[in-house]
Amino acid sequence: MARVVIDRLSKTFPPPAKGGDPVVAIGDISLEVEGNVFVSIVGPSGCGKSTLLNILSGVETPTRGNVSVTEGDRPAHLGYVFQDARLLPWRTVIDNMMYVRDDGEAGAAKAARYLDMVGLSHTHEMFPGQLSGGMQQRVGIARAFSVEPDLLLMDEPFSHLDAITARSLRDHLQELWSATRKTVLFVTHDVVEAVQLSDRIIVLAPGGRIFDDITIDLPHPRRAADPKVATLQAEILGRFEEMQPTSAPA
Amino acid sequence: MAAMGAGQMTAGTVALPEAPTPPGPFRRWMTSPIGAQVTAAVVFIGAWQLLTLIAPRVPGPVEVVNFLFVEITGGSHGGIVRGQFFEHFAITLQRFSLGLFLGFVSGLLVGILIGSSTLARALLNDTVLVLLTMPAFVWAFLTTMWFGITWQAPVLTVAFASFPFVAINVAQGVRAIAPELKHMSTAFEVGRSKQFRHLIVPAVAGYIFAGLRFAIIVGWNGILLSEWFSGQAGVGFRTRYWFDANRYRGFVGWVIVFIVFIVVVDRVILNRLQKRAFYWRDASEADFIEIEEQQVGL
Repeated sequence: MARVVIDRLSKTFPPPAKGGDPVVAIGDISLEVEGNVFVSIVGPSGCGKSTLLNILSGVETPTRGNVSVTEGDRPAHLGYVFQDARLLPWRTVIDNMMYVRDDGEAGAAKAARYLDMVGLSHTHEMFPGQLSGGMQQRVGIARAFSVEPDLLLMDEPFSHLDAITARSLRDHLQELWSATRKTVLFVTHDVVEAVQLSDRIIVLAPGGRIFDDITIDLPHPRRAADPKVATLQAEILGRFEEMQPTSAPA
Repeated sequence: MAAMGAGQMTAGTVALPEAPTPPGPFRRWMTSPIGAQVTAAVVFIGAWQLLTLIAPRVPGPVEVVNFLFVEITGGSHGGIVRGQFFEHFAITLQRFSLGLFLGFVSGLLVGILIGSSTLARALLNDTVLVLLTMPAFVWAFLTTMWFGITWQAPVLTVAFASFPFVAINVAQGVRAIAPELKHMSTAFEVGRSKQFRHLIVPAVAGYIFAGLRFAIIVGWNGILLSEWFSGQAGVGFRTRYWFDANRYRGFVGWVIVFIVFIVVVDRVILNRLQKRAFYWRDASEADFIEIEEQQVGL
């Protein structure tokens, strides 16, 4: 059971042009996530959602503050699903799954099981270029689950896909999550998606500050067309309108 | 009224144009890539033969082929010397292979360093660029001055001449690796050795092949010059031998051996290796399977 503690975290990037102002991506946020929960981080573009995941995964360092991602008394093992699939085009699907694993045959069996769970058991020996965008993203999701992470980070994984494919992948994701119950931090700018998938929604405002923290108490799996889900979506979208645009950079 | 031809409209109907007659087998062959290559070779040999009519000191193709036959089969060239083709060729090949290996490996390592480290780039990039501008004959002179008439001179000429071409291409390739793939590798904590084998080397493969091609051409030039100046055996030495003996058919014959070697290495070895390394690209282009989406209900 992963535990994420974010304590007074800030991240400022240097000015994009000479003489400009530094860009505040995250502005002094504190947050705690614990247990087998699906947490969405929602907000408009440029409010620091992806930067937060990059700091949690160690790809970027914070300007101020601390983060800790633990599983019991050891550092948590992470999985990551990106906006695009980020597969190695010169390796087959199964080899891409094995690229992020260090075990041999046992690992291959696990990788195959997760590919099967996303409906891609017939693609093991194919190259990513032979798959459509939706299928590549399913490989990306299977890869992240297959490392059996304590914490799964997902950065707008469906934002580059068409609506029908994205909807199908959301259903796949719900099935996978229900079967594995990993701790998930899911970044999205789509409130509808967040309500359908999450137990908790953290709303970030421009300038990288927390605007709202909402608990969703509906059973999984949820359908987008479910009236309860739709009502909640409308309510949260209404709260969004209260969010005043600030002078913080986008 | 003029008669209507094929493709013209009459009231209410449209006549389809006549299908063009398919080309015959000879025309198909002539317009194929192999036909074009054979035509280019025939034109080259014809032009060469014509040149011998204008310049009688230039040996013609038949004369050169006869010479090479005697040289390769170990016959006699009018009592001057017995042919020692394979002996000389093998000596050059050994020196060339060793020099190319040294130049390639050091170029690969330095290229990866320059491509992946800002400090290494600041330290080494300009030096490699300077080396890149050095013609092969300068290395041939320098190594002969440093090592005299030894086997080291041609080996190091090849190594020095080929090194910057590999380094500069590999550095460019490393810089071109998609940062998203590096980010993915970091996020999944993929080890450095695994990243090197499965991310860096395949991503840079195209640049490695480009560098290797240049390295082979420049290195082969270098060894010919080095053996010409300082060799007592080898292809360059043999070319000079016939030049000094005023036997131009021998000189041109060995130049042709030199060219044929480069063409064979490129076509037989490099092209095949490249095809194998980029198998995934051909497979991806040939076999996109969007239809598979339907099998899982998307």
